[in-house]
Amino acid sequence: MKYSYPGKIEALKGVDLHIRSGDYVAIVGGNGSGKTTLAKTLNGLLRPSHGSVIISGQPIEKMRLASIAKYVGYAFQNPDHQLFCSTVDEEVEFGPRNLGYEEKEIKEKTGHAISIMGLDEVRDEAPLSLTLGLRRRVSIASVIAMDPRVMIFDEPTTGLDAKEIENLMDNIALLNEEGHTLILITHDMKLVARHSRRVIVMANGRVVLDSDPRGVFSNLDLLRESSLEPPPVTLLAHKLSDFGVRRDAISPDELVRSVMSKGAR
Amino acid sequence: MMPVFVDLYAPKNTFLHRLDPRVKIISVILISILALLLASLIALTLLLVVIFVLLFLARATFARTMFALKFVLRFMVLIVILWPFFDPSGTPVLASLGPVKITEPAILRGITSAVRVGCLATVWYILLFTTSQRDLVRALVKLGVRFDFGLTLAIALRFLPTFSSLIDSIKDAQRARGLELNKGGILTRSRNYLAVLIPTIVAALRTADTLALALQSRAYGARADRSYLRELNMRPSDAFVLGLLVVAFVVPLVAKYGFAVPL
Repeated sequence: MKYSYPGKIEALKGVDLHIRSGDYVAIVGGNGSGKTTLAKTLNGLLRPSHGSVIISGQPIEKMRLASIAKYVGYAFQNPDHQLFCSTVDEEVEFGPRNLGYEEKEIKEKTGHAISIMGLDEVRDEAPLSLTLGLRRRVSIASVIAMDPRVMIFDEPTTGLDAKEIENLMDNIALLNEEGHTLILITHDMKLVARHSRRVIVMANGRVVLDSDPRGVFSNLDLLRESSLEPPPVTLLAHKLSDFGVRRDAISPDELVRSVMSKGAR
Repeated sequence: MMPVFVDLYAPKNTFLHRLDPRVKIISVILISILALLLASLIALTLLLVVIFVLLFLARATFARTMFALKFVLRFMVLIVILWPFFDPSGTPVLASLGPVKITEPAILRGITSAVRVGCLATVWYILLFTTSQRDLVRALVKLGVRFDFGLTLAIALRFLPTFSSLIDSIKDAQRARGLELNKGGILTRSRNYLAVLIPTIVAALRTADTLALALQSRAYGARADRSYLRELNMRPSDAFVLGLLVVAFVVPLVAKYGFAVPL
């Protein structure tokens, strides 16, 4: 699949991907590498100039955006680009209402989305008066409420503090457990190491690496070329590999275990 | 999808680009007045040809020119078609249906007005094609517009592309939530557009707030007398063009009204 923006900038120069149902995929890459463009073609916001996007055997080219939204949800980076209702409840209901669900279903899906995102206490408040962390949650809940099989999160942690990030990502992980396919666009390699099962590294409009997090983080040179920084624990593991520690450790626990087993010997 | 040119300026190095922006503004105003005063179709067509030659000299690309002219052309065609229906004066009458009379002079007047509108619109495009927004504002301030107003205009122009892309991304965000902006009657559509309008206004207010703070933190308005990094200087060539233009402005008017009529 290829995509060119009007004005001939080729943002995707040939991407061939198969994303399995129920997977948790991270798309990483430097700014301008094409990751957001790729994600936008997946839900029809951008239509590929060559090739096609197929969801569950169905090409989406001829489908209206509103029909694609039933299958693929997209949570934008900036929640302020979509919040406009007077209460959180109304905001979250907006999506399922557009998709034409029945009143009972709308209430169910909205309630579910609100509880997953932990917004029960602010249901009646005005979305725009909430903190950024909560606004982000409302915007994500509004996507969850449409109950799409695939959900794309574009940099969901920008501007949040460490605790907010941890809580939000834990809640998002719940969706994967429910069976939703998740696609996470991010710069944060710690999140990738902790949450995703598959990592797609993009550079200059191409996929340069496609593997599990362990495979990606062992390729330090390629990460640097793609303007990415592996998590500190991986860097440390690489430094310690001269002493026999496994270099593909991606969590502190793994590193500790590897170091201790060497020390015991 | 047609690319949207929010800023019509195309940086090039032509004679028209180098001209003092003040001269360009005055010239465009003079030519506009001329287009309003001239009544003969031949004279106006000549003026339009001159304007197109200038547009060509400004090396406006075809895409840009067409983008700019598309609206003007539609408007011109509309005038030519509609004018005779609303102007029943003169003879010979070519056709009549009840109170509606189509007369030959009315058709002529319609064409004349269309050409006049063409002149008025395209001459301003030359200014916008060849003058950066910064120069435009600087020239206006030098011509006596208050600096605050000049700055306000500059900021407004500066933020046009920003808001254009902001609106695009808000539209995308709402369409991804299943909103269909082009569906339904006028009432549904206006209600749907609220989903785009409200986030836009909120973002605009936030931006304005931040911008005001940024200006204040850089001591905007601390001194009443301002100095400028780049001064505008009239060169002999600028003066020459201005002189030429004044002559080109006065001669046809004198030829038309004679010396007796004060301009």
